[in-house]
Amino acid sequence: MTRHVTAILFGPAALWGMVATAGLAMTWADADAWGPTDRRAATAVGSDTCRRCHPDEHASWHDSYHRTMTQPAEAALAPFAGETLDYLGFRATMTRNAAGTPHVTMQRLTDDGRAGDVVLDVDVELCVGSHRYQQYVARFDRPGDRHARWRLPVAWHRGARRWIPMGAAFLTPDGREGDLDDALRHVTPYDDNCLFCHNTEPAPGLRPDGSFRPTVAELGIACEACHGPASAHVARHAGPMRRVLAGIVDAADAPEGSIAHPGKLDAGRQVDVCGRCHGQRIGRDIDRILRHGDGFLPGEVLAEVSRPILRDAVVGDGPAGQFEVRFWPDGTPRLSAYEYQAHLQTPCFDDGEGLACGDCHTMHGDEPDMQLRADYDEARVCARCHEPAELSAARARGGHGGHVGIADVDCADCHRPRITYGLVQGMRTHRISIPDPATAVGRADTPDACTQCHVDRDAAWAAAALAGDEVVASGPSRIAADLLGGDPIQRALAIDALAQPGATLDAQTRAAWLADALADDYPALRLMAWMALGAVAGDDDALAALVAAYDPLADPAAREPVAAALAERLGPGPLTADPIREMLIAGRFDREIWIGE
Amino acid sequence: MSESSHLRLSLATVAVFAAMGLWLEAMFGLRLSGWVDDPLRREFLRLGHAHGALIGIANLGLSWAMSRLGTPPAWAARVRIAGIAAAVCVGLGFFGGGIWHAAHDPGPLVLIVPAGAMMFVAAVVAVAMVRPRGDDQSRPNNDS
Repeated sequence: MTRHVTAILFGPAALWGMVATAGLAMTWADADAWGPTDRRAATAVGSDTCRRCHPDEHASWHDSYHRTMTQPAEAALAPFAGETLDYLGFRATMTRNAAGTPHVTMQRLTDDGRAGDVVLDVDVELCVGSHRYQQYVARFDRPGDRHARWRLPVAWHRGARRWIPMGAAFLTPDGREGDLDDALRHVTPYDDNCLFCHNTEPAPGLRPDGSFRPTVAELGIACEACHGPASAHVARHAGPMRRVLAGIVDAADAPEGSIAHPGKLDAGRQVDVCGRCHGQRIGRDIDRILRHGDGFLPGEVLAEVSRPILRDAVVGDGPAGQFEVRFWPDGTPRLSAYEYQAHLQTPCFDDGEGLACGDCHTMHGDEPDMQLRADYDEARVCARCHEPAELSAARARGGHGGHVGIADVDCADCHRPRITYGLVQGMRTHRISIPDPATAVGRADTPDACTQCHVDRDAAWAAAALAGDEVVASGPSRIAADLLGGDPIQRALAIDALAQPGATLDAQTRAAWLADALADDYPALRLMAWMALGAVAGDDDALAALVAAYDPLADPAAREPVAAALAERLGPGPLTADPIREMLIAGRFDREIWIGE
Repeated sequence: MSESSHLRLSLATVAVFAAMGLWLEAMFGLRLSGWVDDPLRREFLRLGHAHGALIGIANLGLSWAMSRLGTPPAWAARVRIAGIAAAVCVGLGFFGGGIWHAAHDPGPLVLIVPAGAMMFVAAVVAVAMVRPRGDDQSRPNNDS
């Protein structure tokens, strides 16, 4: 009787205890449960599978612009409710078909301004981007070309809440009125181009006949874009014994082995994960890449499958210096598509032993806009290695540029100035450097951090001020010179500098200078200047109404009178009384840059 | 185990796991790192506190039920052991699993929770189903 009672009350628990103990022991001893797996043999499982065990990480990713990098047409941000965009003698009309799918029709405008011949009539298949502007992809045939999906020539700009031609997103001059090739200039293949950095585990699937059968594990940048294919990880953690033991065994900081955790990689490998998309590269085996994808596995060395495009890079038999225009003379990238290269050149990166992307950014935070860490603070990050009190006589006059103690100036303002263009805006460079305006004195091709905020000064003034010398009179403003005579990127960054609330000139003068840029022959720069002017106009309702009446993408006959009215309202542009103005404008050298980010 | 020991141990169990709740509240109030910044640990410590205290209270119920139902002494003694062991295993299993845990799963101590749960279920079912022997039916079970 007693044994019977004991067996009934304690038997199941004892049996479970034996099973659990045996399971723990076997799992502990199982070499396959620990250490590296063959991650190259793993396949993607999709973010829904990841959510089962990582709901918080999934939620933060779900709120990010990485997830919405590429989406089905149904996710379009634009209304597609019959809006029209006239540009270069063509009219794009955005509607929806009977099934509600976004649709774009492009027609040639007749002499009397009516829509005539249809040159493009397509359903949208994919939306690309969702943060600054959204591009659209459709499937249609183009004679003599085997690509199936193409980027459309119009995009929806979120900030401006309007349609723009892709020519106004990229730094290219206006095309010829009525020229179909110019109107479709940015209609480019999707499957061997955008596919790569806008999707997870992309493979273009190049076939012998030159056509593509592209595959992606998931639209947009999902979990496995940064962590690698996860089937081996999922299989390993399917057993509960492996999972409960992980807290003890993995606590020894041994690599988990079945998946990459970018936050636990050293700086070099971590930056490689981000650099795969945030830095344009040249593949080592183009044919293989076009068939199967780039072959990069997060956690491995990116340089094994590609090399970053730097200032002196050459592709194949291409001409020397073909990428020079994308970099400043010192090699610092001028475009946001080269943030990886910028970081590689940062002394703080220390050849992969120092600063990593994760020191400032997190992919699983609450702030999707810049994805900065919750505890992000520029001074705190820098102070990990740099003792503020010891920074180049920071307490002395002129030490550290005299900015010590100025609340609105932080490390980034001087060491990561806004000298990068991308996505119709200026951005901070990711190359951390020590400002040295003396190197920019007498040069028209080099920015300096000081005059990016001191927009009314030149580099010589900045060099003297930084050195702690007596203040010297400034020559013509460097920003003004760039605005009038710089190349398109310099003009864009001059507009961006004038739009910043911390710029040293008063708002009225900055607005007048920005109005000058409304006459630029690059639509992207007119768009930037128009948006900047709207921001600088502030509470001046009359000015805001005048700015609203200006359409940066209208034809010259429509926009120039409004620009003239704005100039009259705001006063003279930069250097109006200086003979150097006409010289700068005449010497403006326009270089087309066929890239938008 | 005698009925009085069972009652004392049951009350002690309630007291210990209730005190754990006080400690958890204090950690929350003081925003102690390792607590507020570790959702999995918070969840499992709360589970340990709640389950331990509730099963302790349930033991008081078991003791009362056995006295009312006239559970045979051979069963009653072991039910009391099973009931107290269940409270300790479930409460400390959750607690230990939350203290030492992996990134997304509790630690191995959580494996004693099912053992405690089995003992508790077996004890409750036994009290409900086991009837007193013929010669015991006339009097409640006051001791064993």
